[in-house]
Amino acid sequence: MPSRSRAWKWLLKKEWRELLSSHSWWVMLALIGPLVGVSFISAVRSYAEASGQGGTAAGLADALFPLDGVISPTFSAYEIAASFLLPFVAIRAIAGDRTSGALKLELQQGMTPLSMVAAKAMVLGAGWLIAGVPLVLAGILWASYGGSLYAPEIGSLALGHLLNAGIVIALAAAAASLSEHPSTAAILVLAFTVGTWVLSFVAAFQGGIWEQIASYTPSEMLQAFRRGLVRLDLVLAAFALIASSLVLAAVWMRLGLPVGRRATESVAILCVAAVLAFATSFVRSSWDVSENERNSFGASEAAILSKISAPLRIEAHLAPEDPRRFDLEKQTLSKPRRTMPEVTVEYVSGTATGLFEQASEHYGEIWYDLGGKRIVGRATTTDGVLDAIYELAGIQPPQEGGAGHRGHPLAVQPTGAVPLFYIVWPLAVLGLGLFFQRRRFI
Amino acid sequence: MGGHNVAEAIVRVDGLSKTYGRLHALEGVGFSIRAGEILGLIGPNGAGKTTLFECVAGLEPADRGDIFFGPVLAGARHRSAKLFYVPDGIVPWPDQPVRWVLEYSLGFFDGRHQMYEKVIADLALAPLMRVPIRALSKGQRKRTLLALGLLAPQPILLIDEPFEGLDLRQSREAAATLRKHLTPDRTFFLSIHQIADAAKVCDRFVLLSGGRVVAEGTLEVLIAFARQRVGDNLPSDLEEVFLALT
Repeated sequence: MPSRSRAWKWLLKKEWRELLSSHSWWVMLALIGPLVGVSFISAVRSYAEASGQGGTAAGLADALFPLDGVISPTFSAYEIAASFLLPFVAIRAIAGDRTSGALKLELQQGMTPLSMVAAKAMVLGAGWLIAGVPLVLAGILWASYGGSLYAPEIGSLALGHLLNAGIVIALAAAAASLSEHPSTAAILVLAFTVGTWVLSFVAAFQGGIWEQIASYTPSEMLQAFRRGLVRLDLVLAAFALIASSLVLAAVWMRLGLPVGRRATESVAILCVAAVLAFATSFVRSSWDVSENERNSFGASEAAILSKISAPLRIEAHLAPEDPRRFDLEKQTLSKPRRTMPEVTVEYVSGTATGLFEQASEHYGEIWYDLGGKRIVGRATTTDGVLDAIYELAGIQPPQEGGAGHRGHPLAVQPTGAVPLFYIVWPLAVLGLGLFFQRRRFI
Repeated sequence: MGGHNVAEAIVRVDGLSKTYGRLHALEGVGFSIRAGEILGLIGPNGAGKTTLFECVAGLEPADRGDIFFGPVLAGARHRSAKLFYVPDGIVPWPDQPVRWVLEYSLGFFDGRHQMYEKVIADLALAPLMRVPIRALSKGQRKRTLLALGLLAPQPILLIDEPFEGLDLRQSREAAATLRKHLTPDRTFFLSIHQIADAAKVCDRFVLLSGGRVVAEGTLEVLIAFARQRVGDNLPSDLEEVFLALT
């Protein structure tokens, strides 16, 4: 038997050739250019309008950041591609060996199926990185227009989308390995994607435990990275899902094991994955890499708040679909959660929309409890929450610091983007595809 | 029935059984493989030949039974050290050309590099080297699969239907090639449903019918065994022996 590393290199070489000969990968590559193009062009145009082209509200332009206006919308093309294109590429790569009979030959090498799955996942990951070239082109175009790029924010978004792609590849591998036919695997992966959307919908309607579970779905996970917030719990949860799905795929590639044993091992893997995912919910570390530090308090405020040792309990009387609850949860409370040692939040409502609770005496109230002292407020903004905490702690609010972060408005048109993404990119992919198809036979 | 010659056996299969729901694909199958021989697994379609090969190769779980390498019990995971199984009807790596598939199998399995040119010449694969596997005819694909097997490093080669899809001339050439590559450290176990083909190439036979081994041995042993059953008028022909015993 060959050395493991030598066989592994041959396997990687083979997977790479298989990817290059995969029509589905080339089609994905060709489509991703126009997808990025649509997102980038519309984002740049909207950003230009908001920046003052054709007139805008006073002060609005100063609050504009490319992360929200251009970078994140451009990246969103990859969320679509990861949901609807990447699964087919991954399923083809995993199921192809099974349906062609190559798996029966390769299993006789003695290499572990996990190594074989890992090789496929690595090559698919590399294929996904190559599909990121249009994004780099969009960044170069944006910079050439004079647009601002902040590397840590881009890194956060890239990490989020890479994790999302990793989850899709791993789930596709598991589905392809579990099912006899690639079409069944495709249905399973799409069902998972749609299922997470349904979960998000239920969470928005029901709140509570559903909201907590939904925060770990890929689409919700991406929300944090879009705000320039790198949460360790999300990263670890994603890794747990990726690892458990790949191990699951490897288990079902062991054709020589009885189905009952494979099923038992699968249940054990799912249990371990659930425990790991639950454990990650206790991890609090996070990094605010946004340029305007939107996920953090100012340095002086953070220093004061970190000294408050008593647990802070917040009881908000807001329904799940109330926009104020969204502001409070997504925009405001992430800051004290990252700064103070213990913050618990409980939402109270009788209905999902809150539409018929408005007349209720306590609806809209936010109760703060710090070390037994309680006060009530209604503001959902950062300043409102901060004032309540200072009042409870008996602390004098710090003096206003210097000027806040100013945005980077830019009123330009996406010159050159249309031919680049709609003509040059697809033609370049077509040409390269034909070149590699011919080269294989030499 | 021809008994097992345990002393000479490099592989011994004992009591192998496999069911699919209510269907008994294999029932207590036992036989042995000797070093340097061509052993033929003979049986009609549906006899359980492919199931038997996949169970022996560790690619299909058996319900019961053991496989020994000499005196040592071989678990499913350890069989790939000595056995290499070439399935029938597969189209592995369909988009890759024959040359790359053979080079890959040599590199990945650390195969018999020194035999590369010889195997290509023996199986007349030179004109096909640039052709992708999916574009090969059935016979061409079978020759490529035979080459994959011959280049594999394992001493025991299991080939499912090695002559399936080959014309008469190609069948003869393939049989001659297998015979040429037979060495003391190279043993072939072939599953063949065409009894005439089997008679030409195999040294010994395992007759499989309805998931059971009905006889095992050389042609002479099988003839004697069959004549015990049906009388001395039975011709010395493997087809007649097979019909008499199954």
